[in-house]
Amino acid sequence: MPPALLTTSLVNTIQIGSLYALMALGITLTFSVMKLPNFAHAEYVTAGAYAALIVSLSGSLNPIVILAAAFIVGALTALVSQLAVFKPLEGRQVSFYTLILSSFAIGLIIRYILFTMADYFNLFDLRIQIPLQIVYRQGSLILSNLFALVVPTSILLVIALTLLLNRTALGREMRALANNANLARVIGIPVERVKNVTWLLVGGLAGVAGALWGMQTAVNPLMGWVAIISVFAAAILGGLSSFSGTILGAYVVAFSENTIMLFLNFNFGVDLAYKPAIPFIIIIAVLLIRPQGFTQLIKRGGDLQR
Amino acid sequence: MINIDIGATAIAILTLFGIYSLMAISLNLEYGVAGVPNFGQALFVSIGAYVAGLTYTRVLPLLAGLESIHPCGPTMGQALQLRSEIMATQPLAGFINLALTLLIAALLSGAVGFAVSYVTLRLKEEWFLALVLLVGGETVRIVVRGADDLICSHNGISGVAQPFYFLGDARSGSLLFMLLCVALALIAYVYSQRLVRSPFGRMLKGLRENEAVTRGLGKGISLARAQIMLIGSGIAALGGVLFALNTGFVNTNDYVVTLTLDIWVMVVLGGIGNNRGALLGAALIAILDRFTQVAAITLNMSGSEIEFNYVRFIAFGLILLLMLRYRPAGLLPESPLTTNAHEVIRRARGPQPVSKRA
Repeated sequence: MPPALLTTSLVNTIQIGSLYALMALGITLTFSVMKLPNFAHAEYVTAGAYAALIVSLSGSLNPIVILAAAFIVGALTALVSQLAVFKPLEGRQVSFYTLILSSFAIGLIIRYILFTMADYFNLFDLRIQIPLQIVYRQGSLILSNLFALVVPTSILLVIALTLLLNRTALGREMRALANNANLARVIGIPVERVKNVTWLLVGGLAGVAGALWGMQTAVNPLMGWVAIISVFAAAILGGLSSFSGTILGAYVVAFSENTIMLFLNFNFGVDLAYKPAIPFIIIIAVLLIRPQGFTQLIKRGGDLQR
Repeated sequence: MINIDIGATAIAILTLFGIYSLMAISLNLEYGVAGVPNFGQALFVSIGAYVAGLTYTRVLPLLAGLESIHPCGPTMGQALQLRSEIMATQPLAGFINLALTLLIAALLSGAVGFAVSYVTLRLKEEWFLALVLLVGGETVRIVVRGADDLICSHNGISGVAQPFYFLGDARSGSLLFMLLCVALALIAYVYSQRLVRSPFGRMLKGLRENEAVTRGLGKGISLARAQIMLIGSGIAALGGVLFALNTGFVNTNDYVVTLTLDIWVMVVLGGIGNNRGALLGAALIAILDRFTQVAAITLNMSGSEIEFNYVRFIAFGLILLLMLRYRPAGLLPESPLTTNAHEVIRRARGPQPVSKRA
């Protein structure tokens, strides 16, 4: 594999891995705190991306305004799905599969509402028009201002979330809820409020990830759904419980999808059409062989259930 | 307004009903009766369709005594013409081909279901099985689509005609095909009713309710799970073959997670654990499908800006949510099993209700 290709794929790995991390942390958080594998998570990403697209089309190209709009819309979508769908089911002790099905159902509804909207206003496959410029160039390594926006933003948000979880009262309450919901209720943690705040955070981060995603590729109603399996693969690599495991998992998935795939393509002639199969293979392999993921490799790394 | 041909609509709905029933009965046996969360229904349905794609291109010409032409690439048109000619002129070859397709599809899909069940025995948590099946279906789809020569990647195989195509008359052809679909569905229904009422069926329900107790009673639960996956997957593949024949195409894009969800909607709507519910769910979804199709065409012709095909999915999501929330047992809830022993006790006791299963 020529070095030019290698550096490009590594840049992609970092850029896409950061976005996967933002989304996958949400999956890990909902699974730990709410005991829910949320497939509707994909649609918060798409909703955020559309919010960002609409803001950018209506004239504001300030990244902070765009990302804020994406955060708010993603957060509200997540909160609505909690209040309308998941909360009423919680009280009834429904089976796990009912929860999975419901998350698919609410995801389907949001996705096709976005489809209808995109169709009506003709908003298919548009890129969020942040003006692109090259900020760094050395040899074959070219970094655009997009890279300078996506990577630090994602990393800052991930760090902020980790600090929130480990250093604040809210984070402590979330961890208590993750560990034992009944005990958390007994010692007087306002369970519903903590859950709602968690949903807002999870949806907001997903929305921001969607906006950043839409700046580098294009926004369409399927974008979240297409990414969700990679994101789940990252969360599963983190054992669905560990923060640092999930972040590591996100970069591992992005690395396999970009660098390893390109390597296989270049050296063994594996068709790039097989790229979407990589996260699937990771999920199956991890669940079968090492269901705890990276959790035991990282001794003290922000595990939600230590 | 477009004219709606009532006869053709009825035939189309009944054909869909037959096909959907096979899929719904399959999921009902697996999840409703045995409690195996099969979120990979699209995989087993797709196996049927892929087998049809392979036999129509590789076996059918041989059965007709002709040389087979490579179905993809530059010879694509030629191969399609050959298929259509054989289906139009040699009904016997068409029927033998269909019988072979159904047989191979059921056996292959059953074997895959059985194998998956054993591979996943070691999973740490039960719901991982749902995830593995969901993801497995998509993996197979991507691999089949990536293999250019198998069923022609993105192009798929067209001209997968139903066996009564030779009649020339579209109306009687589709009527006969509808009867075939409904007949297969009814056979599957009668078979699954017998299965549920057999000792094996009662063991499966026991497995669903309490695994430890069933194991304690000396039942081999791993084998039972694998067996029901074998049966269910086989039935789903039959549905897949008919599904492909009904549309006339085999394309990997049809066998995505949304298809799995459609089948779940049927079972949840009709009644989990009740074969009659599966039939009812299949019938309602077949009607809804046809209705949305007609509505979409009508609206598009009248110049409406809203794409009605998307509304179908929103409706499906809403149905699923409302059922799960307000009527989780479905429209036709599962009734307690009665065996001969129950009957004897009931008669001896006099007119008392049979105690309800927990």
